[in-house]
Parts: sequence; C-alpha cells; structure tokens
Amino acid sequence: MIKELLTRFSDLSGWLAYLLISLITLLSFYGLIGFSEGGPDWQLLSDSYFHSILSFSVKQALLSAVLSLLIAWPIARALYYVPSLPFKNSFLSLCMLCFVMPTLVLITGLVGLLGNNGFITSLLDQLLFGSWNLYGLNGILLAHVYLNMPFAIRIIYQQLNHIPDTSWQLAAQLKMSPWQKFKIIEWPSLSAHMLSLFGFVFVLCFNSFAIVLALGGGPQATTLEVAIYQSLKYDFNIPEALTLAWTQLIVAGGLYLLLNRLGKTNWLSADTGASQWLPKAAGLKKQLWRVLYAICWLCLLMPLLALLLSVLQSEQSLQWQQLLQPTLITLGLGLFSATVGLALGWLLLRPIRKLHLQGSKSRKAMVEWLASHSLVAPAIVVSVGLFIFLLPRFDIDRWGMIVVVILNTSVVIPFAIQKLKPRLFQFDAQYHSLARSLKLSGWPLWKIQWPFVRPVFLSTFGLLFVLAIGDVAIFSIFGNQQWQTLPWLIYSYAGSYRIAEASMASLVLLAICSLILWSSEKFQTEAAKGQASERNSKKEHEQVKTKERNHVAD
Amino acid sequence: MKNLLSVVIFLICTVSLTNQARAADLTIYTYDSFVSEWGAGPQLEKIFEKQCDCDIEFIAEEDGVSIVNRLRIEKQRTKADVILGVDDALLEVVRSAGMVQDHQLQLSGLKAELNWNDTAFVPYDYGYFSFIYDSSKIKQPVTSLKELINSNASVIYQDPRTSTPGQGLLLWIKKVYGDQSAQAWKQLAGHTVTVTKGWWEAYSMFLEGGSDYVLSYNTSPAYHLVAENKSQYKAAPFSEGHIAQVEVAAITKATKNKKLAQQFLAFLTSVEAQKIIPVTNWMQPVVDGVELPKAFDDLIQPQRIGFSSQQVADNRKSWLREWRSAAAK
Repeated sequence: MIKELLTRFSDLSGWLAYLLISLITLLSFYGLIGFSEGGPDWQLLSDSYFHSILSFSVKQALLSAVLSLLIAWPIARALYYVPSLPFKNSFLSLCMLCFVMPTLVLITGLVGLLGNNGFITSLLDQLLFGSWNLYGLNGILLAHVYLNMPFAIRIIYQQLNHIPDTSWQLAAQLKMSPWQKFKIIEWPSLSAHMLSLFGFVFVLCFNSFAIVLALGGGPQATTLEVAIYQSLKYDFNIPEALTLAWTQLIVAGGLYLLLNRLGKTNWLSADTGASQWLPKAAGLKKQLWRVLYAICWLCLLMPLLALLLSVLQSEQSLQWQQLLQPTLITLGLGLFSATVGLALGWLLLRPIRKLHLQGSKSRKAMVEWLASHSLVAPAIVVSVGLFIFLLPRFDIDRWGMIVVVILNTSVVIPFAIQKLKPRLFQFDAQYHSLARSLKLSGWPLWKIQWPFVRPVFLSTFGLLFVLAIGDVAIFSIFGNQQWQTLPWLIYSYAGSYRIAEASMASLVLLAICSLILWSSEKFQTEAAKGQASERNSKKEHEQVKTKERNHVAD
Repeated sequence: MKNLLSVVIFLICTVSLTNQARAADLTIYTYDSFVSEWGAGPQLEKIFEKQCDCDIEFIAEEDGVSIVNRLRIEKQRTKADVILGVDDALLEVVRSAGMVQDHQLQLSGLKAELNWNDTAFVPYDYGYFSFIYDSSKIKQPVTSLKELINSNASVIYQDPRTSTPGQGLLLWIKKVYGDQSAQAWKQLAGHTVTVTKGWWEAYSMFLEGGSDYVLSYNTSPAYHLVAENKSQYKAAPFSEGHIAQVEVAAITKATKNKKLAQQFLAFLTSVEAQKIIPVTNWMQPVVDGVELPKAFDDLIQPQRIGFSSQQVADNRKSWLREWRSAAAK
C-alpha cells in the first residue's frame, strides 16, 4: 500500500516539477499582461527601430556563432592530430572555464585589456589607425567568441575522438589523400553536430544580456533582450516589452525546438576519448598546429592576466575583507540553486525518460522544450513580470533575495537537464528492462541507479553552481544592497570604472569558479577512468597490440 | 515534531515582530547615489531624525525613472510617504498618474531665478546640463551645441530613457534643432564613444580618458576643485543657452503620516539641509544665503532655455522614439 503510494507520488513528482517551473513563467506573464490593458503593441513591428534591433540581434548572433566555430575548428583539429601537445588537459579545462565564466569577469578583463585605458589598447589603436573602440559590435563579438569558441573546441574535439579507429586504418590502407580523408571521414562525423552546435551558440548569443548591456554602447548595438529590459526598466512600456518578448521567444524558441529535433549533440558531456589509432600530423603541419595551439592559449589567458595586472598596478590599498560578505552570499546562493536545480532537473527528466522509452518522439520533444524553456524565455522578462506580480503582494525590499534564488534556480535547470539526460538515457537503455523484469522500483532501483549516475550528478552540481553564481540580470531587479553578490559588486565597480576593485572581485569569483569546475571535472574523469578500466580489462590485450601498431605507423 | 512546530512558530513570530519594529515612521524613495555613503542622504537623515525624534528610511532605486515606475506598479499600496529625486522634466508624468498630493507649505526662501510655484513638488537642488572637458587637453573648447555636433570630438552621453542628464540632452537638442533633431542625433552618433545607462558610468569613463566631452552639470567642476583640488575640468558654456534640471520631492497620496512628510519637505529647503546638498549631490542650492565653497562662485552661469513640464510630458514619448530611431542607425 505504502509502496504503491510512493510510486504514485514519484510519478506525480515529475509532473509537479513541470507545474512549478511553468508556474513561474505563467505568473510573470500574468503580471505583465495584467498590468497593461492593451496587450502587446503590434504597431511596433512596423517601427524602423524594431527592425534595426532585430537585425542587429540576428547579425551579432550569426557573426558570433560563425566566428566561434570557424576559430574553434582548426584548434580542435590541432588537439586531435597532435596528441603530444603539452598541457592538453589543462587547456580543455580552461575551455570549460571560459564557457561558464561569469560574464562580468570577462567584461572586466576585456575592459582592462582593450578598454579606453587598456593594456594593449594603444598598440591596437596604432594597428587600426586610431579607430579602435571596444564599445559596440567589436566588444560584443570579442566577448561572445571568447565565451563560446572554447566550448566549440571541446565539442568538436570530442566529436573527432568519436571517429572509430578502423576508419583511419582503412583510410591508410586505401592511401587516401588528406582531402579525401577530410571529405570522407572527418566531415561526415562532424556535420550534423556542427549544425546543432551552431544553433546552440546562436541562441546563447541571441539571448545575451550582460555583455550587450555593458559593451553595447548605445542604441546602435542593442539586442532584443536588452531592448526588452530597456522598455521595461526605462520607459515602463509593457505593451512594447511584450511584443519584443514574443519576438524573442518565437525566434530563439523556434530555433531551439528545430535544433532539438535535427541535431544530436550532447552539448555538455565531457567524454574524452582514450588513446587511439589516428593519422598523426608531422613536419611543418605539426609545427603549424603547435603555433595555433599556443596562440589560443595566449588569447584565452590574456583577459585573465589583465585582471591580475589591474590589481597589481593599482595604487590604492585594496580591501579584501570587503569581499568577504558578498563572497559568502554568492556561495550560499549558488549552493542552494545548484542543489534544488539538480533535484528539479532530475524530476523533470522522469517524464522525458518515460516518453523516450515509449518511443514517442514528438511528445518527448514538446515536454523537453517545456522543461528547458527558461533557456529561451528572456530572464529579464520573467524577472520583471514576477516583480510586477509580487510587488503589491510581498515585501520585496526585505524578501527579494528569496526570489533571486528561485529565479536563479529556474535559469540553471535546462543545463541540469542537458547534462543529466545522456547518462540517464544510457542507464535506461542498459537496465530498464532488467529492472522491470525484476520489478525493481523506488529505493532498490535508486540504489542501483546512484552509483551509475553519481559522477554525472557531481559534475552537474559543479556546473550549476558556477552558472548560478554568475547572475546579474535577476539581481538587478530583485536584489538589494544588504545582500550584494560578488557579480553585482563587480558590476557596480566596473560601472563606475573602478577597474582595480572590479578586477579584484573578478579574480575572487574566477578562483571560486575554477575551484568548483576543477573538482567536479576531477570527479567525472576519475569516475570515467574507473569505469573504463573495468570495461577495458578484457580488451587490454588488444589495446597493447593496437599501441604496438601505432608505434610502427609512427 | 511538536518541538519543531513550536520552533517554526517562534521564528515566524520573531521575524514578523522585528519587521514591525523596523517599519520606519517615514519611508522615502530616492535614487541610490543620494543614499550612498558620500551622498546627502546619510547626513540629512541624522539631522532630521534628531529634529523630529522619529525614524526615517530611504529605499534606493537606480534613478528617478525607476522611482516613478515603482510607484506605478504599487499604486495605493506603496510604502513611500515621500519621493525624492524626480526632476522637473518628469514631474508632470508623476502628477498626471495621481501619485502625489499638494504639500500645502509656504515656500518663501526659494531663489527667484527658479520661478517656482508648484503646489505638489518642492525643489531641493538644481543645475544646468553642460558638457565637461579637460582643459589640460583641449585648449579651444566648442562654444555652442551646434559646434559640438558638427565637430568630430569624441563624446559620451547617457541614455535619455534611463538617466535625467540624457533626457536633458534630448530636450536641449530638441530646443536648438527643432524639426532637424533626428539629423543632429545621427551626426552626433558618428562621434559618440558610448551611450551609458547612468550618469556615473559616463562620468567615470570620461575621467579615465574615455572621451573629449561628457554630458554632466555646470556644477561638476566644483566637485573636482573642492574634493580633489583639481582645476582642469571645466564646463563649456554654449551660446544657445542651457537646459536646467530642478530636482524635486513630493508627498505621496498613500502616506499615513502627512504631517511628518510635510516637516521633511520643509526641512529639505531649510538652510541647514541646503548647506549639505550642494557639497554632496554637487548641485546648486535652491535658497539664497547659503554659504558655499568658493569653487561655486566660478561656475558658468548659463542662460536658461527649455520646455515647460507639461510640454515635456506631452512630447516625451515621441521625442524618445525619434532619438532611438535616429541613434540606432
């Protein structure tokens, strides 16, 4: 009886999670729509201002995505074809750090490096005949490429590693030319993933907020997301904001739905392939790859070094203890959001897994879209809508932090889902029928599941933690001075151009993020190693043989 | 279980009790730089609380526009007894939304040049929007708005939707250019470094060497002279005249403590408060006979031009639209 109830409840809990996350979005739209009598302002669609921001949003996202992928590709190939590159694992970790780095850390670094008084601004100014200006499209593209290119490197590298050894062996036997190898082996293994990777980066850049707000430099470089914020925060023009929000939702959401169906990238998994048989680069080509790799290291490190230099160069005595309270608040916030986000992500995945097992693809896609809709629903719209809904009902000056935490959690949920999904699907594929035939459910089932998913759980937790502590958009609406978070502190310092202080706070935030990521990646690779050794113990003999062959081929 | 329950109840009670104890006698919505540690707020609070033997609380929004927006959402349920930090260009918007009531005060000592006879809003400081430059770098500053816009000197200004100086420039260009404003904005966009969200972002970027000119107030040079002993920052007087900004405070309709609110507004225009505001908020006092640092004597005294609050309220939306369409290209 109790057992049955428990199963019922656990079935229900998944849908309850859906109710919860939908409720947040619904209440916020209720707040917005309830406040404006007329509904969306469709006249805006024929306004030239609307056209210019829409086209700018698309243009910058398109350029950012194309540049990120174009630069990432050769570097991923360098990693793949020159396995002897030094510090390769550190490089891959740095790539992950760049991707999830709180945007304000990057903005501070870029301003320190390339702003009006940046460390290399005068050099760049001479190269460009005095026309360098960080603010505008330049800065937006730089920041977007910096954040997304390393991520693309990881994905492309991972895909290249999935090319089976036998393909290369065959190519060698058939004496294929480099072009043939590329066309017949490399490209087909990448093409489908390139498309969904492109789409994902596009959506991220399309929805970008803090970067455009900080580096945009006025109406010439405004995206939809920022325009929504402006029409709500500046003009308080809710009909206009609603029109912009729907446009945003349709463009980004539609694209995301499309890609979900077309593509198949597990965009957050961190599988790294073991050593394999592959055509190694040699001679000049190898040197070229090495140089490229070194340049990439340098470029990724430069904004971070600029932070350090700003702190070292500053004449004022910097007060570290001022950072203590914001740091603790930030950590508490991240801890909560990551824990709850992980739990909700797991619950939200239950119906998805069920539908996946049943094989109903379109329903699965719909449910999945709903589960990760906060990725495309503008965080600013949800925040402001909820703000309007809550303000008359709730003492926001006192309890606003609670809303910050809740909204932060809802923002990280899509990442939890994407990261947990492949592993849970794998579990289902391997053990579902067995568990069913043994009639396992509830606690006993969980006991089997836990060791299987634990490493992914831990690394997901780390990822969510890092993502949750970077927010400024939500804090800008609900936060208050007594509960300042580290990113908000950076924002206020950077806003008043106190770069040394901003850099110092950024360094602390960066150190926290690196520590979390480093430990969570460590968990994951250790677990992966453990599993691999288990699986591979039988194949060991074969592997030794392969290695011998590899050496001969060298 | 019972223990847990009683602990929870105890917690709820203490939290709600302390909340009640913390509710101030007078709640004032203002913008954040006013209540920052170097702003006027903390000093005024100390003096006024001694006078009234009461507890006042400032709640800080980002800027004047945010104060208005918050009142619009909260309507009659607002906590604010007083709003402080809206300016003369915005006040008609506040009045027409029915958010404030008449102050019923006799404001006798106000400067004649303000020509103030509003029944709801009380001015507490004022200044003229001006472009500030570094005279150690620029030897021959521009002498008119038209000259600035025709030049290719780099400029930083603020978004007219969020910040009151930005809105000041909007009025300034409209007054000087009239129907040709869109063209002027486009020309200005050609040599604009960046349009910032607020005054502070723009001004600090300028101080870091970000541009030749920055939009600020004619009173800004006084700050550098008094606080930093630097004399190179100057305001450029423009031959077309300057737009003034008068910052005002008012009593909300929802207040339950009108007497105290009136007392506070009267205090704002007292010599005691007026002595503090110019050297913290860096604007001019609104009453005569306030002793000020000598730096204030050397400020440019421009000719005042502009629109009435009613004209601004009627046209603000369409002027903003014109600006954003022109500046977006």
